[in-house]
Amino acid sequence: MSVAMAAAIAALSVIGAGLGIGYATSKAVEAVARQPEASNKITTIFLLGAALSEATAIYGLLVAILIIFFVK
Amino acid sequence: MFTVPILGGIPVTDSVVVSWFIVAILGLLFWIGGRRLKNIPGGLQNVLEIVLDFIDSFVTDVTGPRGEAIVPYVGTISLYLIVANIIGAFGISPPTRDVNIAASLAVLTMLFVIYSSIKARGFKGWLKSFTEPLSIMVPFKIMDLFTRPLSLAVRLFGNVMAGFIIMELVKGFVPMIVPSFLSLYFDFFDGVIQAVVFSLLTVMYVNEGIEKAES
Repeated sequence: MSVAMAAAIAALSVIGAGLGIGYATSKAVEAVARQPEASNKITTIFLLGAALSEATAIYGLLVAILIIFFVK
Repeated sequence: MFTVPILGGIPVTDSVVVSWFIVAILGLLFWIGGRRLKNIPGGLQNVLEIVLDFIDSFVTDVTGPRGEAIVPYVGTISLYLIVANIIGAFGISPPTRDVNIAASLAVLTMLFVIYSSIKARGFKGWLKSFTEPLSIMVPFKIMDLFTRPLSLAVRLFGNVMAGFIIMELVKGFVPMIVPSFLSLYFDFFDGVIQAVVFSLLTVMYVNEGIEKAES
């Protein structure tokens, strides 16, 4: 039971990643609306930022998996 | 687990065998496409030229014309990763789900970054790059050498692993229709995005390593 709770708490890190990617997307949409000709560059930068902020969620997932498999 | 029947049997994991399979397919495809080159391309040669042009512009958009030297490495990595991530849709366990494959790709990328930085700036210039822009940055720059491959490996492995686990759970609950739609997202879209992100980060790290050579 406590292992499941610990894993669930570790998985809470997805909140931050979700907020971060949402914020980045809204700003990217705004930027493309202002300057449609720069959309190629914006897409590249947006993908990079989304990947970096998504990494935090992945770390949370990894910790959750490690807790489930290796904590007795 | 497979066993190679030489020298008394060498044990080989599934992911390595799938990797050999992918390398064989890609190698065969490009060998057939590049066998009889024509000035006016047609058929397979045309398709492969579009792929290579796309990778070329993907790299040079970030680095400028001096990035031509890293196109072969980035192209190899991105083609391998795209096929390796998508292969999960055909019922084969994707090799990037194995943390060893993801980690070795990340370490290889980091070695390539160091190699191209030394090639562009010389050994002393590379050592000097640790003290730029301020000498107080040295511990962080040294830490970067280890955190970068770690985050590259964990990002790739975590994404593919998470997609694989979710697909298995859904297949357990609803074995019909629904998994095929989810597979479009988790296998195709996410696989291609992760391959693009991995190669984009590779290009940016290399670019950062060779950039300050001119100033």
